[in-house]
Amino acid sequence: MNPPTSSDDNDQMRSFKDFLASYNKLSELCFTDCVWDFTSRNVKSTEEQCSLNCMEKYMKMNQRISQRFQEYQMIANESAIAAAQKVGSVSR
Amino acid sequence: MAQLPQLDMQKMQMVQELEIEMMSDMYNRMTQSCHKKCIPPKYKDAELGKGESVCLDRCIAKYLDIHERIGKKLTQLSMQDEDFVKRMQGGEPPKS
Repeated sequence: MNPPTSSDDNDQMRSFKDFLASYNKLSELCFTDCVWDFTSRNVKSTEEQCSLNCMEKYMKMNQRISQRFQEYQMIANESAIAAAQKVGSVSR
Repeated sequence: MAQLPQLDMQKMQMVQELEIEMMSDMYNRMTQSCHKKCIPPKYKDAELGKGESVCLDRCIAKYLDIHERIGKKLTQLSMQDEDFVKRMQGGEPPKS
């Protein structure tokens, strides 16, 4: 049994962890896709633009995926409830 | 007697936490996979294109579908396996 404050802390820690993990993943992904030229040590403006676009696009993709996932979960939940009700009405 | 339901509650909570962890792992893998399959690594634009969006929607639907199918098959196979092991143990005298 956790007191509510500690479970809130856990939630906050989890979301912070998620944030850091996505930050690292995004850096790796966009760097890998956008930076190919190592004839100079300076980041080119095209490389910067590409990386920023990559980040923004990834965030938008994430939004869309989470929306679709929620829709899927809602439908799955509803059908599970319907199936449970069906079983209940049959056994009655 | 009063301890048993509490233990069950604890176990249920553990199972639930495990399930949530598994779901989020699946979600991350799905995101990675669909990103790789649907978003070409050219970032001229920060917007999701129409083709990309449609690809993502289908990718997610298919991924979840396959996830479900594999889960069903896996459960079925592991149940068969368990059954087989039980029958083997029941048929043969215990070695000790």
